[in-house]
Amino acid sequence: MSAPALEKRGTPAQPRAGATAGGPGGGPGRPRGPLAALGSRPRLLALGVAVLVAVVTAAVLDGGTWPTALVYDIQTRLDQVSDWLTDNRDRHWIFLYVLLHVSNFATGTVDQLYLVLSDIGWIGVTALATLLSWYVAGAGLTRRSLRVAALTVFTFAVCGLLSLWDYALATLSLMLLAVTVSAVIGLLLGLLSGLSNTCERVLRPVFDSMQVMPAFAYLLPLVLLFGIGAPAALVATVIYAAPPMARLTSLGLRGADPAALEASVSLGSGRVQRLLTARLPLARKEMLLGLNQTIMMALSMVVLASMIGAGGLGDKVYQGLSKDSFGIAFIAGTAIVLIAIWLDRVTSAAGEQLDAPARTTGSGFARACARLRGWPAWSGFLALALLAYLTGPLFGQRFWPPEWTVRISAPISSGVEWLTGKIGSDVPVLGGTDTWANNFTLWVLNPMRDGLQETPWWAALLVVAALALVGGSWRAGLTGVLSLSVIGAMGLWEKSMDTLSQVLVALVFTLVLGVLIGILGARFDRLMRVIRPVLDVMQTMPQFVYLVPVVALAGVGRPAAICAAVVYALPAVVRITAQGLAQVDTAALEASRSLGATGIQQLRQVQLPLARRSLLLAVNQGVVLVLAIVVIGGLVGGGALGYDVVYGLQKSDLGVGLSAGVAILCLGLLLDRLTQSAGTRQTGSGRN
Amino acid sequence: MSETTQANPVFSVRKLWKVFGPKAAKVPGDQAYAGLSAAELRARTGCTAAVRDVSFDVHPGEVFVVMGLSGSGKSTLVRCLTRLIEPTAGSLVMDGEDVLAMDSGRLRELRRHRASMVFQNFGLLPHRSVLDNVAYGLEIQGMGKAERREVAARMVDKVGLEGLGERRPGQLSGGQQQRVGLARALAVDPEVMLFDEPFSALDPLIRRDMQEEVIRLHHEEGRTMVFITHDLNEALRLGDRILLMRDGEVVQLGTPEEIVANPADDYVRDFVRDVPREQVISVRRAMRPAADGEAGTGTALAPGALVSEAIEAVARTGEPARVLDGEKLLGVVGHEQLLAVVAGNGGGAGTSPAEEAAEAAVEDAAEDDSAGADRDGDSASGASESDSGAGDKDSADHGDSDNGKAVAGV
Repeated sequence: MSAPALEKRGTPAQPRAGATAGGPGGGPGRPRGPLAALGSRPRLLALGVAVLVAVVTAAVLDGGTWPTALVYDIQTRLDQVSDWLTDNRDRHWIFLYVLLHVSNFATGTVDQLYLVLSDIGWIGVTALATLLSWYVAGAGLTRRSLRVAALTVFTFAVCGLLSLWDYALATLSLMLLAVTVSAVIGLLLGLLSGLSNTCERVLRPVFDSMQVMPAFAYLLPLVLLFGIGAPAALVATVIYAAPPMARLTSLGLRGADPAALEASVSLGSGRVQRLLTARLPLARKEMLLGLNQTIMMALSMVVLASMIGAGGLGDKVYQGLSKDSFGIAFIAGTAIVLIAIWLDRVTSAAGEQLDAPARTTGSGFARACARLRGWPAWSGFLALALLAYLTGPLFGQRFWPPEWTVRISAPISSGVEWLTGKIGSDVPVLGGTDTWANNFTLWVLNPMRDGLQETPWWAALLVVAALALVGGSWRAGLTGVLSLSVIGAMGLWEKSMDTLSQVLVALVFTLVLGVLIGILGARFDRLMRVIRPVLDVMQTMPQFVYLVPVVALAGVGRPAAICAAVVYALPAVVRITAQGLAQVDTAALEASRSLGATGIQQLRQVQLPLARRSLLLAVNQGVVLVLAIVVIGGLVGGGALGYDVVYGLQKSDLGVGLSAGVAILCLGLLLDRLTQSAGTRQTGSGRN
Repeated sequence: MSETTQANPVFSVRKLWKVFGPKAAKVPGDQAYAGLSAAELRARTGCTAAVRDVSFDVHPGEVFVVMGLSGSGKSTLVRCLTRLIEPTAGSLVMDGEDVLAMDSGRLRELRRHRASMVFQNFGLLPHRSVLDNVAYGLEIQGMGKAERREVAARMVDKVGLEGLGERRPGQLSGGQQQRVGLARALAVDPEVMLFDEPFSALDPLIRRDMQEEVIRLHHEEGRTMVFITHDLNEALRLGDRILLMRDGEVVQLGTPEEIVANPADDYVRDFVRDVPREQVISVRRAMRPAADGEAGTGTALAPGALVSEAIEAVARTGEPARVLDGEKLLGVVGHEQLLAVVAGNGGGAGTSPAEEAAEAAVEDAAEDDSAGADRDGDSASGASESDSGAGDKDSADHGDSDNGKAVAGV
């Protein structure tokens, strides 16, 4: 799922004032003590002073929360809006003529898709999906296409065996519609921003911001507009999943080989001709990658949207979590993970297929397959699907036969209960997971939270501004200070500091673990070969699923949320670190080795400094991903802002829910800009 | 060689400017900026003049080489010819038609049918087969699929890629990819082909192959070519005439021989210093007036024969060779003259005692050369009667093939 994070890049045009931070004091060659070194870097000094002030004032003054005089009562206002919405839902034109149509379209289409899929029958659906996957993955007897086909059969069979067939169908129906709409909208926006510089300037910051927004935060307003159910889920999914398609389409269009485009012009092509014959085809790879990301993000959101009545597999997970029935959540989570892996493999196999040479040799079968490619094949599929739809009801059952299922949720539940009972506490010497969680809360989380909450608000603003200045961007500082002020003005200071403390703790764990594993992975090829498939799977899993195992082990509470966040953000950090280290100029590395540097010296003096940009990117990605999970942790007792959102969703309380959502967005913006400003100071493309 | 041929020039370029930067249009024609160097101009106006006041004609059937180091504006210049880059000022006429006045439809017609280009980085479409890449120009013209693939298949064979039509460009070597680029440009059957440093990205050996391919194609079809390069050897090898550019301005325009023998300034002299002069300079430049009694002896050479051939002949016979234009004795070359050429102080401006006589002979020969569409390249004339007369193409190939080690025309 965090694949979209990987293609995030910094805006190139940041002021580079920080790059000149040499200072007048530090002449070359003069011996310098630590204080002198600090003095030669006024920005660093400013940061030090700000932190010092914050620590001292936090210790001396008691209670550092945002002054009530500066709080604007936004919740009452929001409640009024909410009341107005409820009152006017059946009367106002915007509901009657716009939203109602969207709503009806979504509900109708999803229902229709579900009906069609169930009419085709379980055999038909499995067969069609397998055929389609096999075709997209290359349509041959190659290992890749056969493996993808086998994976498809396996995924559907597991869904059936776990008696989740109709839930899976519901999820797939919503997915079909959501992915189609997202891809079309993303494609159009991508065309706009790829072909017009003005559109690019307008849309790019929007896409960038969309990427750091935890999706959780904007569910509530949609619920109020559309009510609980498929329409709200669809709109949320489209908002969440369309940007990667748009970004990558635009990227592909802009990155198309200029020589090929010029050749096209020189042969006398017109604008439209050039777009269709050269520019779009040259961008195919990026567009397919965009589709892959859109699909993965759509799945993630469709699952999460079960909270607002999307139904399907996500609903099962949600039920399992709220009933504390681990077995149900686990089997539903398994099905979701399998579907995610399946979708990811199919779309990436399609991407690899683009590079494959046209088959002119090989067996007769392969050549026959190659000849089938293109429009005839697609119309063939449609015809087959239609045939299956018409004849499906004649053969056998519509759903997976109930006698072919295994009921393992109850045994899993009791098994896990037994296990957690064993290792939860009173394990000699080690203590047990519950004990760990409690100690963690007591000794790490609480002091951290209290410290942040004790810090006077103005000192916090000072630290943020100083941090941004060290990063070298006053604009980031301004964004940060403004975000914090908005949080304070909404009266959510304490809760936000609570959330922030969780994010920071999770971030530290993520970075330490992730960078360590990344360094080891870059150094030892064998380790990387082992963990790469694990990372692949972890990156495709929807956010929601991560909560399932941690709740079983650590119980509900903040440690569970942090645990999930660390696990969720880890793959991206590991991968970016390992890639950054691997991409270090081999000549520089060789030079250092030829001078007799040890492994540690190479790492410290060459690899880490040269991979600095990647490391900063890893920090940035880590922050964004951690925040997304920490707030979802509100579902499992993470408290703070996340809980407010959940509460708002459950009670349809716009005042509480939306203000918490806005606070989350502000936190996201703050953390993203602070970490990004440090990253963009480095030049380079940042493509990973 | 003067621009006084009977046929209309394919391209007639006069006072062409291309200036990048703010207020670019103000730079051409302003006397205040005329004498400034490129750096001064940038400092004063913020503009970069990539092409400055360039004038030349390209005659039908010739290979016109534009040569210069990187940044000299040669690639910009060739793009101006089909307005891939819009010139800032000046006039540009193709076959009597004002290119700068064309509307977009007419311009598209020009690009589709009359001038096609081969690029340094090939510019192939990676998602199409070789055949479809070659057919791309025809597809843009709107030709039907069967027809254009048939033409493309012929072109693929013509550039020596038989059997590779179904491959993708990514599966080909650099040289093969550029052959695809060449075939694509040929497929539209253009009146003139523009080459933008087409072989710079290739290995030296493959580059030589490709140069020979171009020479062969030119020999077979006699198509007009404008060829951009930064490689002096390539320019000398291919060019009928060479336009030397530096900082956007024309430094010298002339045949390879003129450029090597009479460098316009120190810059050009520096440039051609390492050229094996005996491979480029002809005996008509090196000869001295015949002394009494020399009219009847010695090997007969055509005035366009290379000094290297004369060396061979003189070394073999041990006496000066005669330079004959038909029956008329123009002069003789002996050891002194030939060695002076090799040493770098003969055959050049004002050094030969036979300068005047040679000049007259050059004028004569020049008319011979340009009347035929044949290239004379860097070597022999079209009307060779000497024992090297294996055809100008051959001697050209041999003449340069080992960069001065081999002696041509044995």
